[in-house]
Amino acid sequence: MSNVNNRFKKDLDKFITEFDDDLIICRCEEVTKGEIRRAVHDGMYTLTEIRRYLRSGMGLCQGQTCQILVKGIVAKELGISPMDLEPVISRSPTRPIEMKVLGNEGKEAL
Amino acid sequence: MSHYADVIVIGGGIIGNSTAYYLAKKGCSVLVLEKSDHMGNGGSGRNGGGVRQSGRDKRELPLAMYGVKNLWPALSDELETDVEYYQEGNLRLGKTDEHIKILECLTNDAASLGLDVRMIEGIQAKEICPYLSEEVIGASWCPTDGHANPMLATLGYYRKARQLGARFVTGEEVIEIKKIKGKARQVVTSENCYETETIILAAGYDSRKIAATVGINVPMLQSLLEVLVTEAQPPMFYQMLGTAAADFYGHQSTHGSFVFGGSSGFEGVNKNNGTPVTNSITASCICRGIMKYLPCLGDAKIVRTWAGWIDDCVDHVPVISRVEEVPGLILACGFSGHGFGISPTVGTLLSQMAVGEETVLDITDFRYDRFKAKI
Amino acid sequence: MTRYDLIIVGAGPAGLSAAIEAAKQGLKVIVFDENAKPGGQLFKQIHKFFGSKEHKAKIRGFKIGEELLKEANDFGVEVVLNAIVIGLYLDKEVTVNINDEIRHYKGDAVIVATGASENMVTFDGWTLPGVIGAGAAQTMMNLHSVRPGNKVLMLGSGNVGLVVSFQLLQAGCEVVALVDAAPKVGGYGVHAAKVARCGVSFYLSHTIIKAEGEECVKGVTIGEVDSRWRLVPGTEKHFEVDTICLAVGLSPMSQLLKMAGCEMKNTPAGYVPKCDETGETNIPGLFAAGDVSGIEEASSAMIEGRIAGLAAAENLGFLDKEELSEKIYELKKALLSLREGMFAPGNRGKAIEKTEEGIDLSINLLKKGYVGETEIERFPGVTRKKGVHPVIECTQNIPCNPCQDVCPKKCIKIGDKITSLPTLDETKECSGCGMCVAACSGQAIFLMNEEFEPGFAAITLPYEFLPLPSKGDKGMALDRSGKEICEAEIIDVKTKQVFDHTHLLTMKVPVNMAGKSRFFVVRRQENE
Repeated sequence: MSNVNNRFKKDLDKFITEFDDDLIICRCEEVTKGEIRRAVHDGMYTLTEIRRYLRSGMGLCQGQTCQILVKGIVAKELGISPMDLEPVISRSPTRPIEMKVLGNEGKEAL
Repeated sequence: MSHYADVIVIGGGIIGNSTAYYLAKKGCSVLVLEKSDHMGNGGSGRNGGGVRQSGRDKRELPLAMYGVKNLWPALSDELETDVEYYQEGNLRLGKTDEHIKILECLTNDAASLGLDVRMIEGIQAKEICPYLSEEVIGASWCPTDGHANPMLATLGYYRKARQLGARFVTGEEVIEIKKIKGKARQVVTSENCYETETIILAAGYDSRKIAATVGINVPMLQSLLEVLVTEAQPPMFYQMLGTAAADFYGHQSTHGSFVFGGSSGFEGVNKNNGTPVTNSITASCICRGIMKYLPCLGDAKIVRTWAGWIDDCVDHVPVISRVEEVPGLILACGFSGHGFGISPTVGTLLSQMAVGEETVLDITDFRYDRFKAKI
Repeated sequence: MTRYDLIIVGAGPAGLSAAIEAAKQGLKVIVFDENAKPGGQLFKQIHKFFGSKEHKAKIRGFKIGEELLKEANDFGVEVVLNAIVIGLYLDKEVTVNINDEIRHYKGDAVIVATGASENMVTFDGWTLPGVIGAGAAQTMMNLHSVRPGNKVLMLGSGNVGLVVSFQLLQAGCEVVALVDAAPKVGGYGVHAAKVARCGVSFYLSHTIIKAEGEECVKGVTIGEVDSRWRLVPGTEKHFEVDTICLAVGLSPMSQLLKMAGCEMKNTPAGYVPKCDETGETNIPGLFAAGDVSGIEEASSAMIEGRIAGLAAAENLGFLDKEELSEKIYELKKALLSLREGMFAPGNRGKAIEKTEEGIDLSINLLKKGYVGETEIERFPGVTRKKGVHPVIECTQNIPCNPCQDVCPKKCIKIGDKITSLPTLDETKECSGCGMCVAACSGQAIFLMNEEFEPGFAAITLPYEFLPLPSKGDKGMALDRSGKEICEAEIIDVKTKQVFDHTHLLTMKVPVNMAGKSRFFVVRRQENE
């Protein structure tokens, strides 16, 4: 991870817009490629920071669809291999679940 | 990269980042060292986002009121990041006479210190937030309270500080602070040694072991709290909610999702594996708590739960203080789970302390040497 | 809290195999699966599997699923369906949503066998309805009998893209193009060849530029890319389609393992837990098996599952260490043999130019999906002989040997090395029974008789389409590229239980076309 740890901004090239910056990458939260690239230039160097900054991967599918896509974009922007980016932490519930169901532990709960 | 900075901040949470921003704005060279790979990875990225004045300890209240009056309203503009600040008030709800007594007590204390907070009837609470259950018989109401997005506020401070030239290194765990000729001078990490005139220690619970390397003890405990978030709902209400019985607290965000924190009652003894992991029974308990007050949210889907540690000071009020025995060291820790709301104020105060200005508020109540035996 | 010896998450090939092995050793086992039907991907796999006997080769995937389920039931495994595991916590506790109630279970051991999910790629219009995963298309067709579309473009030439293209053809869809940005077909050549001879055009080194349409997919534009993945201007091609299928890889659904605190690693096979050789993670008693520990074939998943099930049994004292190593010795050997050949995980990304026998690979197969006429002669299964004899168009080293096993006359030899190309024993006489034609999972074996009638040859080919042609039907023979080359007449149709739904069509073609004719279409009535 050491190559993303020094957050001094001189490390990155200038932000230049690209023709497909409007492309939706995270469908659940409607985050575009341009927003992700811009966030990297704003200093968000890890997938966790990108997610907290833009909400990408925080929607109903929990990043199942977009995580790899976001990873590729961030890695390219940072000039590193996607293999060097640690995926975000996984959270319960693995599938979205109604509050009334999550609150219903039944009799044998404990 | 130079290993020297005028000020070194240990900890990349919202206290560290806001301090770095206010220092960079003053033209200081500042370096932030963060143990994890991510900025704001401790409580700053995990809390419920309350920007409350009500319910605060009387020593902390002036910090909260200063921030709400002077800093929060313009923060989004200042940071050029929408921190999703809403100042729509805080309702603390009660369902029993006992609850009402607790609320009255809190309300009287805060009102006596000049905060606009008052008791209201259940029917008035329902006028403010029509989604409340019929069981709510009364509430305390502080119209100037609010909430914001803690992740965006933390990363917004980070982004702006970075733009102003503050330097950040993540994955850099501080092992030791070293005194040179009687002054705190060096910050030693596993890989590097940094030099500075002033060290601000804002590393949450980890501050305790780092302070111990210069013989200073901050009496605090680590405790694991949990939060959950729903899928986006249509806009419903923007008050911050809490309850007298502490069943839950939370709000609806700009995104539409509801963010709720709460507890199961086992927080003091929950196990962990070295990372802040959720417990199998807590989220379900929080859900039951929420539905007692907001039955209409029963169909809202929970998409995520998470946990975070708080650095709970023995008297539940932070330490924001110079250390006389260790000149050059400033402590900023023990925020006890309510540091987010006062973070702009604390960042301002710390930046003033670091450059030797007089602080805009009196901070003697937060001294590191205030802890005495009970008899 | 309900307690089990072993909790398994996922009732796919790995999970069921693990459950069976553990239950055989006497463990009390429960399996949770979020789907309404068990079997994971197996019940979508209507093609015959590769491998050898111990890998259940030449059996169709869904049949393997049925066998596993029966075996699990026989050994008393509890399989709970519509059971969504929502969390994996400390002390190997799982929370499960069953009938809108959260239940807590603890296992002395837990095996996570949650499989994988489909990857996506982005292009202009990728979010339009009609852009679907190839796996989703397979689910629609093979589980729910719904045709995903009428005109389909497939992106991805790996085995999933190839197999699903063939299934789309079987379901009556038109596959207008098979596209891959890579310069070479990624999956098995035999899978590609059976798609190509149905007339599907391959576009390697091509990518999707744009999916067109307002409300849903109406068309697609592709274009060629150079060696640095840049679009070559002027190479755009447009197709009218209503469906774009994406078969661009799978990602392990390893979230539960990460949530549980397992040490994880980024690998070319996905983000997976660090496991020992039995699938045990750094958390004692917590195992991973199947695609969740790295994307491979279902055959490997089943063996990994069995190993994990046995290791869990050993972990809980139902087996001693020696018994375990004995039992997993054979399984590991079987697993290793599946990981051999040119498609082995260790060969990912390597440019292989020759077979293990030293024969140059077919370039045409890698570029266009079918072996060129001048290339096919150099492979050992392709010989010319008097009378009826098999022509084995198997040109890549893949772990598979049913053809050797089924030949009653022992004409076909692969030998001990399961990846070797099949050869013909000239000393043995072919009886023309067709067992090899039906058994070949790659549908790459044909029977040829160049002396059928003066001037005419008889070609027997595997056929898995409906309606089935009848004896006497006239039509056209297609060559390996799917081009109509000559008139042909069906002279025999063989359907036997032992062929397992692979029908054997024998067609009569002019003898000079015998070496080229590899498929048949009935001539349209109105044209006559």
